Amino acid sequence: MTATISFRARQACTIARVELRRAFFSKRSFWVYLLALFPAVVFIGHGIEAKIDRQRWSAKGFTPAALLDGIKQGETSEAVRGRLGTPVSDEKWDHRRRVLREGSGKDSEPRVWEEKREQRRRLTYFDGRRRADLWFENGVLRSKSIRPLLNLEEDRQVFAGLFQYFYLRLAIFFGCLGIFMNLFRGDMLDKTLHFWFLAPIRREVLLLGKYAAGLVAAVVIFTGGALLCFAAMLWPHDPGEVQVYWQASGLSHAFWYAAAAALGCVGYGSVFLAAGLLLRNPIVPAATLLLWEAINGFLPATLQKVSVLYYLQSLCPIPAPMDNSAPAFIRMLLSPAEPASHFWSVAGLLALTALVLVVAARASRRIEISYSTE
Amino acid sequence: MAVYRRGYQRYQGPLTGYWARFLVAPRFAWERLFQQRQVVILLVGAMIWPLFCAVFIYLANHSELWAGLGGGFKNFLEVNGKFFLVFMNAQAVFAVLLAALAGPGLIASDLANNALPLYFSRPMSRPDYVLARLLVLIGMLSLVTWIPGAALFFMQVGMAGRGWFSENWRLGVGVVAGFLIWVLIVSLVALACSAYVRWRVVAGGLVLGFFFVLGGVAKMVNTVFRVEWGSVLSPTAAMYQIWCDMLDVETPLGLNTAECIGTLVVLGVLLVVVLERKLRPVEVIS
Amino acid sequence: MTTAEVIFDDISKFYGEVLGVNRVSLRIPPGITSLVGPNGSGKTTLMNLLTGLILPDRGSISVLGVSPRDPETMMRFTGYATQYDAAPRWATGFEFITTGLLLFGCSRAEAEEKAWKALEWVSMTEAAHRKVAAYSKGMRQRVRLAQAIAHNPQVLVLDEPLNGLDPLVRAETIALFRAWAAEGRHVILSSHVLQEVDVISDQVILIANGMIVAEGEIRGVREEIHDHPSQFVIRCRDASRIAALLFNEDHVTEIKLNDDRQGMLVLTKDREQFARALSRIALAGHEIDGVVPADENVDALYEYLIGGGR
Repeated sequence: MTATISFRARQACTIARVELRRAFFSKRSFWVYLLALFPAVVFIGHGIEAKIDRQRWSAKGFTPAALLDGIKQGETSEAVRGRLGTPVSDEKWDHRRRVLREGSGKDSEPRVWEEKREQRRRLTYFDGRRRADLWFENGVLRSKSIRPLLNLEEDRQVFAGLFQYFYLRLAIFFGCLGIFMNLFRGDMLDKTLHFWFLAPIRREVLLLGKYAAGLVAAVVIFTGGALLCFAAMLWPHDPGEVQVYWQASGLSHAFWYAAAAALGCVGYGSVFLAAGLLLRNPIVPAATLLLWEAINGFLPATLQKVSVLYYLQSLCPIPAPMDNSAPAFIRMLLSPAEPASHFWSVAGLLALTALVLVVAARASRRIEISYSTE
Repeated sequence: MAVYRRGYQRYQGPLTGYWARFLVAPRFAWERLFQQRQVVILLVGAMIWPLFCAVFIYLANHSELWAGLGGGFKNFLEVNGKFFLVFMNAQAVFAVLLAALAGPGLIASDLANNALPLYFSRPMSRPDYVLARLLVLIGMLSLVTWIPGAALFFMQVGMAGRGWFSENWRLGVGVVAGFLIWVLIVSLVALACSAYVRWRVVAGGLVLGFFFVLGGVAKMVNTVFRVEWGSVLSPTAAMYQIWCDMLDVETPLGLNTAECIGTLVVLGVLLVVVLERKLRPVEVIS
Repeated sequence: MTTAEVIFDDISKFYGEVLGVNRVSLRIPPGITSLVGPNGSGKTTLMNLLTGLILPDRGSISVLGVSPRDPETMMRFTGYATQYDAAPRWATGFEFITTGLLLFGCSRAEAEEKAWKALEWVSMTEAAHRKVAAYSKGMRQRVRLAQAIAHNPQVLVLDEPLNGLDPLVRAETIALFRAWAAEGRHVILSSHVLQEVDVISDQVILIANGMIVAEGEIRGVREEIHDHPSQFVIRCRDASRIAALLFNEDHVTEIKLNDDRQGMLVLTKDREQFARALSRIALAGHEIDGVVPADENVDALYEYLIGGGR
């Protein structure tokens, strides 16, 4: 039988079908689901918490918004309670720490340590929409935070950060590492790769079949996970507010998040598939790639464009908020390059993937069965 | 002559004592580990920072060398809790890298080659086996953690005098105890990954990923719930909080030390459970 | 297909610094060919090279005119039952064979029919829907064999195919090999059981330390070995007299009379002169019931050619 393109496509489909079962249901890929679905679980938890708080606090009565806005630093807890009434939540605890006694340790004085005890308290008030958390130290207001119980704008920012920092940099990166490297190296570890090599198929077809299986699994798991997380983020909010957002830009945001997740799987998948074929120890290139992607923001604009992350971030509809806990000098060094257009992002990633797959296909023709060295 | 009369005779020589028997495995494992070039390079690399710290301690105790440099420099050159905290943070990273490099080969290859029945057919129980493997890592990680830490502490004691020791002995205890907890956690993570994934290389990646991803998870929980307690989910952050407490350093994390200790205990128990489930001398076919 | 032979042309394969096979040149005709040699001699390496699982560092291989570098064409008419003890973890015996057949372009119905037939050949239908991972060693061996023959290959390569089989299945399997060889196909196998190799092989290839020591039909190989005297068992009534006559021949080196005086073992340096001497003795009226070569078997060849490596 002369092999035609359609025949080879059928072979690739058969391989993909077999591999899909493994990619989705093998015990080894269980942790990938955890990675993909955990953010959604966290957002669902957040939604449930907000709904329970609203219900519980509403039953206790609202504090007028003007009173909340009038609270000043330095007020005592009793004064605040006197003016605003009983809070919806009141927590007290003691904080102990060892500190240098005043005056000791200076010049040639020996250091003397003493234990310092502080009484801390947190009062929470609720005006029906916003919650006010007031922190007291030894009865005096140290800090306050007044914010809506649920803030869609803020949650969208949180999701944008979570998507870029967790999904793109960690979950999809490590998930693809696990899924795609397992395609060939897993077979070698199980001593079953010869099953495929002894069938009348070109190595390139085998590679494509396996890649397709890995890609379908990764896209379903991670795009599904990201969209589920997006839905979980919207779920507790006011339906009217959500509808307005959905009609304005929500649908397009969801689409581009899904596209970025899917293209992340396409790009990282091809890189890890090739790494698994070319190198006996794929952790080294994986660590190198992780480092390259991590320092990407510190590089000159031209170099930033030589990374998968740059194109994926360009597809994201909302830029990720800067990490405020990062030291100031690190934030100063960050100079994000101008994002690429959606067209060039998609085209760039697909071109990179095609190139990597061609290299992988050439490498696949030289693979030999040598299980004993695995 | 009957066949049985030509059979093998039982070993008649001296036996390793019961309590020392589990030390047999680490002895050979250390030997093999130090034959790996990457391990040796990393070990040497891990000694650079302690050397810098030693120079720092020397300078801090020889004010005549930098007398003209002003008061700001004096404040900078102070050997206190913060100094040891920075030292511990750097060495902790090396400990993780070393565990990722050396740990996976300890169990993964035994599982991949079906060697466990060989171990357990000898007078060696599963706890003995785990303890033996754990000792290999603890021994090696000690070289880059509490041993140089204790050396630096005693160097400072030697230069600053007994007075400094009586004021700061807690720092020494904190460095050694803090590092020992970290070494134990990292070793357990490395062994559990090694037992969970039979492919040595992937197990190494998993050790690194474990700390990375849990850090990310902790950050995510903090951001979504607008809280600080999420950091306890990250062993790195929990450990940092405990170290801060041990070294009397103010921490920006806002965590409760007791909760952090609880997290690490739970983590340790979970890792032991993974080891207990995975280290079976027979392959169970489902 | 331009030729009906399997050809190794100056093949060398090294695993790093370890020699796999060195400068092997072979032409394997149809029929049953056995690869015989001690452990680590390079038998499996040759089979892996033949099927493209590993690639030669030097030389070329042609399987009925097709290179193993073209698996798409070659594996269509080649089946290989490896000694690796693993089918994919997910597979039952039936799925293992069916999936392989789907890659040949068979429809599902056709693949299932062929798979069932192959399982019948190796008497494995009852365990067809159990996972291969749960099979015994012998069952795994049989299912691997079934997978190798399911697509009716022209060239069948079998690495230690009789290992772990019970006597009944072993006899059935040997019969199957014979039937396939009788149809003009190649059956290339390796085995340590020399008596079986002796019985089933049309030709043998003796290999040691990665080099071919001898190849061809067993008798032909034996005739080429001049260092060792040939051994013949003679059954006759008047053994003492015939022995005395044979002792007069220069080429006869040793004679051992049977205890019953009804036969003897003769060692000779020249098989042709021995044949002529026997004719003369028979024509002189001495009754000879039968003459059987005692060392025209693989066991003897192995002993003479590889000897110490055993």
